[in-house]
Amino acid sequence: MSDLLFFTEVTLAGLGAGALLSLTALAFVLIYKATRVINLAVGEIVMLGAYLFFAFAAGLGLPAWVAIVLSIAGGGLVGAILERGLIRPMLGENPISVFMVTIGIGSVVVGLVELLWGTEPRALPAFLGNQPIFLGEAYVSRKIAIAFLVSAVVIAGFVLLFRFWRGGVALRATASDQAAAYSCGINVPGVFSVAWIIGCATAAGAGILLGSIGGISPAMGVFGLSALVVVIVGGLDSIAGALIGGLLIGVFEAWAGTYLGGEYKIVTTFGILIAMLMIRPYGLFGTTEIERL
Amino acid sequence: MMKFSRRLVLAVSTALTLSLGASLPALSADEIVIAGSLPLTGMFGFAGVGVEAGIQDYVKMINEEGGIAGRQLRFVYEDTAYKVDASVAAFNKLNSQEEIHFYYGDSTGFAKTINPELNRMGSILMAGTSYASELNDPATYPFQFMAGPDYTEMTGILLEYIAKEKPGAKIVLVNSDTEFGRDPIAGTKARAQELGLEIVEEIITPPTAVDVSTEVLKLRRARPDYAIFHGYLLAPIPEFMSQAKQLGLDTKFMGTFWSMDPGSWAKVGDVANGYMGVMPYRYADDEADDAPMLDRIRQMRPDYRSTPYMQGFLTAMLFSEAAKRTLEAGKELNGENLKAALNTIKDFDTGGIIGKPITISGNSIPVGRIYTYNAATQKMDPASDWISLQE
Repeated sequence: MSDLLFFTEVTLAGLGAGALLSLTALAFVLIYKATRVINLAVGEIVMLGAYLFFAFAAGLGLPAWVAIVLSIAGGGLVGAILERGLIRPMLGENPISVFMVTIGIGSVVVGLVELLWGTEPRALPAFLGNQPIFLGEAYVSRKIAIAFLVSAVVIAGFVLLFRFWRGGVALRATASDQAAAYSCGINVPGVFSVAWIIGCATAAGAGILLGSIGGISPAMGVFGLSALVVVIVGGLDSIAGALIGGLLIGVFEAWAGTYLGGEYKIVTTFGILIAMLMIRPYGLFGTTEIERL
Repeated sequence: MMKFSRRLVLAVSTALTLSLGASLPALSADEIVIAGSLPLTGMFGFAGVGVEAGIQDYVKMINEEGGIAGRQLRFVYEDTAYKVDASVAAFNKLNSQEEIHFYYGDSTGFAKTINPELNRMGSILMAGTSYASELNDPATYPFQFMAGPDYTEMTGILLEYIAKEKPGAKIVLVNSDTEFGRDPIAGTKARAQELGLEIVEEIITPPTAVDVSTEVLKLRRARPDYAIFHGYLLAPIPEFMSQAKQLGLDTKFMGTFWSMDPGSWAKVGDVANGYMGVMPYRYADDEADDAPMLDRIRQMRPDYRSTPYMQGFLTAMLFSEAAKRTLEAGKELNGENLKAALNTIKDFDTGGIIGKPITISGNSIPVGRIYTYNAATQKMDPASDWISLQE
C-alpha cells in the first residue's frame, strides 16, 4: 500500500472523527449563541441520547428509525426541562454560578443513567450496516462515513435555518442584543427554550452516532470535553467555527496518532487549543467580545 | 414541673449508655473485618458491583458455616467512584471506625498511594481490583497481593498460548494511554522476543478515544496474526474487530481479564465471535466436575455472576484462608502474619474457581486459561488448558 493512499485514508478517517466532534460542538454553540451559557453538561446529554436509543431500540425493540426519532425528541425534552427548571431561574446570576449548575446537571445525569441502566459498558444494536466503503482505493469506516454525512447535513441544515427561518433569525437577533430583541417583540425566553431544546436534541443525536461507533457507558460524556476544545478553537458562538474546528482537530489528531503515536493525540489537541487561545482567544470565527471565564 | 437534679441526669445518662451499648453489634475484636474502597459508581462501576456481590456471598457462606475459628467475618465498604482521593478518604474513615484486618482496594493508584500507610500500620493485608505488575513486588508491597496473575503475567500466558499455536506469529499490541493500559508493554515485548514472536506494531489509544479508524488502518498495514488489547473494559475492541472484519483481516483479537466478561460481549453481537483472552478464574456457569464451589455460587446467586464477582469471591476466600492459617498458628491477625500465612498456600484447592491447585509464593497467582467467546451461545469456551507460569 502506497504511503499516499495510507495518508489519504488517515486523513479521511480524521475528517470523519472530526465531523462527530463538530456535531457535538454544535450543541455547545447553539446554546451559547442564544443564552450565553456554556453548558458543560453537553457531554452527558450526548451520553443520555445514546442510552435513550439503547432503551428504545434494545429495551423496547423498536425499529432503529423510530428509536432515533424518540431519542432525539427525548434529548430535546430534557433540554426544555433543564432550561425551564434550572437555567431560567438563574438568569441574571453570575455566569460562574450558571456554569457550575451545568456541571451539576452533568453529574446528576450520570448518576441517573447509572441507576437506570447500571455502570457496565454496553453496545448499541447495530443499525448502520457493516459493508466497508471505498473512495477509489481508500478505505473509510462505514460508521464514520455515515457520521460525516449526518453531521454535514445537520450543520448545513442549521446554517440554512439560521439564515431563513423566523425562529433562526430570532435566535440570531437574541444573540446579537437581547434588549434590542425584546424591544422588537421577540420572545427572548422562548428563544432560550428553543436553543436548549435544539442544542440538547442535537447532542442526543450525536450520542446515537457516537454510541454506535464506540459503545456506550456512563463515562462516555468525557467526549464532551473534546468537543469543548473544538468550540473554543472554532469560536464559542460560531456554527461555521464548530464545523471547521471539529474537522481541524479531527484531522490533526489522526495525523498525530498515526505518525507520532496515540499518546500524542491529546497533546496535539490541547497544543492547538493553547496556541489558539494565545493567538485568537475568541476562536477562529468567534465574536471578539466573548468573556473568558 | 420536673426538676432535673444532678443525680437524675447521671442515672438517665448511665441507663441510656448501657442500653445503647447493649444494642451495638459485637465488638470488632470478636470479628474479622474486611473493609473496602469499592468503585460502585463511575467508569469502573460494573467491576465494583460484581466484586461487592462476590465478597458478600463468600462472607455469608463462611459465616453460615460458623465463621473462621468461631469468629464471624464482616464486610464494610464505601463507594469511591474509582477516584484515588475518595478511596484514601474511605480508607481513613473506615480505619477510624473499625479494627480492619483485610482491605479491598479499587485501583492501582490507590494501592500505590496507600502502600506507605499500610507498611507503617503493619496491621492490614490488602488486595483489590489491580493486577498491576508493579504491585507484584513483595519487597516494596509486603502487605499486598492480587488474586490472580499480574498484567504482564496475563499477557505472558497469552504469549505462551500463541507460541504454541502459531510459532513465530506476528503480534500487534494495542494499549490505552493510561497507567493501566501501559502496564504490561515492556514485559510483553521482552517475553515475546524470548518466545520467538514478533511485535510488529504498537498502537496506543487515548483513554477517551471513541473512533479508532486511524488505529485500524495501522493494524491493517501491520497485518498481524494476533492483536493483544490491554487497558480496556470493552470499547474500543468491538469497533476494532468490526472494522478488521470489514477489511478482511484474519487477525485474532485477544485481551486480558477486565475485558473477558461474556455479559458485556453478549451485547456486542456477532462481531464479538472469536474474541479470545486470558481468564484467571473459571466462569460461574462452568459445570466442571472438579468445581464444587461453582455449584455453591450458582445456588447462592442464580442470575448475576460477572467476572468481577468471581474475582471478589476468590479474594474473600484467600483473605479467609490467610486468617484461618494465622489463627491456627496461634498468631495475632496483623499484616505480617496474614501475609506470611498467605504465602504458605501451596497446591491449594479453590473449589474449582481456578482449574488447578494454586501456590502463592509472592504477590500474585500466575495462572490462567485462554477462552474464546462464542456469540451463538453467548459464552466463553475454553481454548486451552490451564497455563501456569510457575512451571
